[in-house]
Amino acid sequence: MSAAPSVADVAPRGPSHRAVPLPRGRRSTELAMLCFAIGIMAFAYAAAGLGLNGHVPPGLVVYVAGFAALMAIAHLAVRRFTPWADPLMLPLAALLNGLGIVMIYRLQESGRKGNPGLPISTLTTHAALYQLMWTAVGIVAFIVVLVVIREPRVLQRYTYTLGTLGLILLAIPALLPASHSSVNGAKVWIILGGFSIQPGEFARIALAVFFAGYLVRKRDVLSLAGRRFLGIDLPRGRDMGPILVLWGIAMLILIFESDIGVAALFFGLFVAMLYIATQRKSWLLIGILLFLAGALLAGAIIPHVHERFTIWRHPFAPGTIQGSSYQLVQGLEGMAFGGIFGTGLGQGQPYRTPLVQSDFIFTGLGEELGLTGLMALLLIFGLLVQRGLRAALAVRDPSAKLLAAGLAFVLALQVFIIVGGVTQLIPLTGITTPFLSQGGSSLVASWIVIALLMRISDTARRPAPQSIQDEGLTQVVRAI
Amino acid sequence: MNRAIRRISIVSLAMFVVLMINVNYLQVFRVNSLASESYNPRVFSEQLKNWRGEIIAAGDQGNDMIVAQSKLVKGGLYKRFYPADRVYAPVTGYNSILGSTSPFGRTGIEQAENKYLAGTAPSLAVYNLKGLFTGKPKQGASVYLTISPRAQAAAYQALEAMGKPAAAVAINPRTGAILAMASYPSFNPNVYSTLDSGKLAKVDKRIRSNPDQPLLNRAINATFPPGSTFKLITSSAAFATHKVRDENSSIPAPRFYRLPGSHSTLANDAGAPCGNGHPPILFALTVSCNTAFAKLGVTVGGSALHSMANAYGFNNQKLTIPLPVTASAYPALTDPAQIALSSIGQFNDTETPLQEAMVAAAIANQGTLMRPYLVAQIKAPDQSTVQTAQPAVLAKPISPAVAGYLTTMMKSVTQDPGGTAYRTAGPGATSIVIAAKTGTAQNGVNNSHLDDAVFTAFAPADNPQIAVGVIVKGGGFGADGAAPIAVKIIQAYLRQQ
Repeated sequence: MSAAPSVADVAPRGPSHRAVPLPRGRRSTELAMLCFAIGIMAFAYAAAGLGLNGHVPPGLVVYVAGFAALMAIAHLAVRRFTPWADPLMLPLAALLNGLGIVMIYRLQESGRKGNPGLPISTLTTHAALYQLMWTAVGIVAFIVVLVVIREPRVLQRYTYTLGTLGLILLAIPALLPASHSSVNGAKVWIILGGFSIQPGEFARIALAVFFAGYLVRKRDVLSLAGRRFLGIDLPRGRDMGPILVLWGIAMLILIFESDIGVAALFFGLFVAMLYIATQRKSWLLIGILLFLAGALLAGAIIPHVHERFTIWRHPFAPGTIQGSSYQLVQGLEGMAFGGIFGTGLGQGQPYRTPLVQSDFIFTGLGEELGLTGLMALLLIFGLLVQRGLRAALAVRDPSAKLLAAGLAFVLALQVFIIVGGVTQLIPLTGITTPFLSQGGSSLVASWIVIALLMRISDTARRPAPQSIQDEGLTQVVRAI
Repeated sequence: MNRAIRRISIVSLAMFVVLMINVNYLQVFRVNSLASESYNPRVFSEQLKNWRGEIIAAGDQGNDMIVAQSKLVKGGLYKRFYPADRVYAPVTGYNSILGSTSPFGRTGIEQAENKYLAGTAPSLAVYNLKGLFTGKPKQGASVYLTISPRAQAAAYQALEAMGKPAAAVAINPRTGAILAMASYPSFNPNVYSTLDSGKLAKVDKRIRSNPDQPLLNRAINATFPPGSTFKLITSSAAFATHKVRDENSSIPAPRFYRLPGSHSTLANDAGAPCGNGHPPILFALTVSCNTAFAKLGVTVGGSALHSMANAYGFNNQKLTIPLPVTASAYPALTDPAQIALSSIGQFNDTETPLQEAMVAAAIANQGTLMRPYLVAQIKAPDQSTVQTAQPAVLAKPISPAVAGYLTTMMKSVTQDPGGTAYRTAGPGATSIVIAAKTGTAQNGVNNSHLDDAVFTAFAPADNPQIAVGVIVKGGGFGADGAAPIAVKIIQAYLRQQ
């Protein structure tokens, strides 16, 4: 509405005669924090080996040096292309990514080469190496985004292209035969040969860009008030179109891909961005009601979703504890086993939880790092979200603002849905934990999100070009 | 848009706060309840590193006997030992490395009292916490059983000597404390203690495929027809409904009884007459006339019999001692022919040996049936008491007066020279005055199998201290197949008093 952009992060304006200290890009802070993050990863890696078999893992130098090199390249790219970007985002993402690699290494070693525990059949002995390679791909994608998108508004040109692309990516798994798209009941993959990606991870980013462009153009119409009901201005009936279409698409995802998590993220992203664009609480209310109705409907008619509800309410039921709720129960018992301080990396039994390397990596970390470690991880995620929202507050371009807020919020929502799911706070859905889970799509997509947020943050924090002649007048600040 | 973004920030913050609270709740407050959840493989594998509590047979004053204990073996792991081998197997069960991960990982007291033995029960948290700070390995609590080592040993030896599938249960009628619970054939629980999972799978497969079913606890989880011992319940119902006044009242006892509404005819054993055809009920029970009690059952009626059987403990699906007990069955009947047969323990009546002992125990305790139980006490590692059993009334099937009539009748079974158990449980067999009832149950299709021998008794008749139920599958006459076993248990138990 009329709140002026936060001035703190924006270059000070005013008479140019006065010597104005340039705001600092704080790249050295970033480097120092990055070293800190890599240091933690190195220690965690050593601790995992010591905990498993009493030896520092032989691959320590390779892994840590490789990872550090990747982060150094990312840092140099940031120095070159987004010198004013937020200095915390890269180190926070690096820390999460590094801990993910360590955990996957620890899990792949379990029960193998004479280590204690049981081997995890769904995890190869190269999993950590692959994760490091996917990190490299993620960093390449990160740099490509920084290089190609020099200004956030460039994205506006591709609003509808990206919207179409996003929908196609979302739809592909539903259209493919199950053998090429289904893993553990969730039909959200494209599997070709030995190679598999989750297009939904990328679709979410494309759609966020699309929503940002679209909603900025339509927000004036969408924020028109219709009838007033219970103290809330309801939107006009004719403006309900977009949200109903989006809801319909979310329901189609649910029905054809059997996964409430992807649908919830997709719909949550849209509702949050719609609310931010229009500032109408009624959209939020309508969105939440539509989502709940959809979830309950899905629970009633889709057996897979219904089962998720049942095991959420009664995970310890004797009928399912050895079957469909086994994974959830093992995750919970693992966390309890870890307690406040955890067993220490390599010393717990996270291998007992099926798919602990992907959907349940949070409980695996909870078992070995304890409550202490989980609180730290949640704080890291929270900080990352907060830095994203901060960029959104500071940037002036409305579509960039909307995009940053949407990406930051959907990151928070993703963490909430998966962490809430594995800790029995909400029904479990199979989505990845950003940066931590094993899997290339999620990791690369997460790095693209960080690149976009850093690009927007750079735009927000970049000092305004000094005006050539001092007009001596207050600049008109467009109300946003 | 910034105001909305700020609000969205608050929503995001709230989501993280909720996650953090939930994680705290899980990893701090729910730790104990999750740890003691069965099917928790982590805790179990960790438990091999802890000293598991002992199981002690403590039914003989000052003569406690350890029947399950943990000893440190290689690699800092504790292994379970059962010094009494198969004698106590139906009581202790076994404790395998599968533990809570499998429904067959643990049985018997090892399963029922696992929380205490493993030390995961919330009431033991304080001891474990002490251990955490002193660095001692975690210790479980010890379980003290009501089992009398003498009675248990006598029971198992007598069953083994008989060599047929059988079980015996002895109860203290005043408290319900189980003094002996033996089953034959049994198994050696030590073989389940192996720390080698491959070996365990082999052993388990071998034992489970054994047609003798050594893992079956016949004392509480197998049911047999009660045969003539059910006449005690028919008599109880007759007294309670005032169809018969006391033990000297006469009841009709024809030589042949044509079952109402059918063409079948019921006779007494070997077609013998029953006294003068109108004998006192005392006589009818002493010699165990079928026609008298079949007719009496029809007079009393199906619903009165059903509720009396229920009061004695039949049809109870929920009884645990704390091992779960299979329900003994006495169906609610309306067809007079079926009622007639069920009154003499035939038709669809089935019972566990424990139920058999409970009938005698209720009569011995002046008509009050105490809840049977196996665990007398649970003691923490520092010997402080965590739990002590409180005897509780399960039901009062009959009045003290009726219990008196029944005691007189049961005494006559062993003391009257015409009684069915005069030879094997009477003055010639033991100096102890035993009150008893024999049963010889026909079974199988068209009664093609060997008869099951059934015997229920309590002693001394005037001052009851032990009630016994014995069932021997294919044991023939109750007096021959089952009574000697009960006598040996009674003698072993009362000698020590």
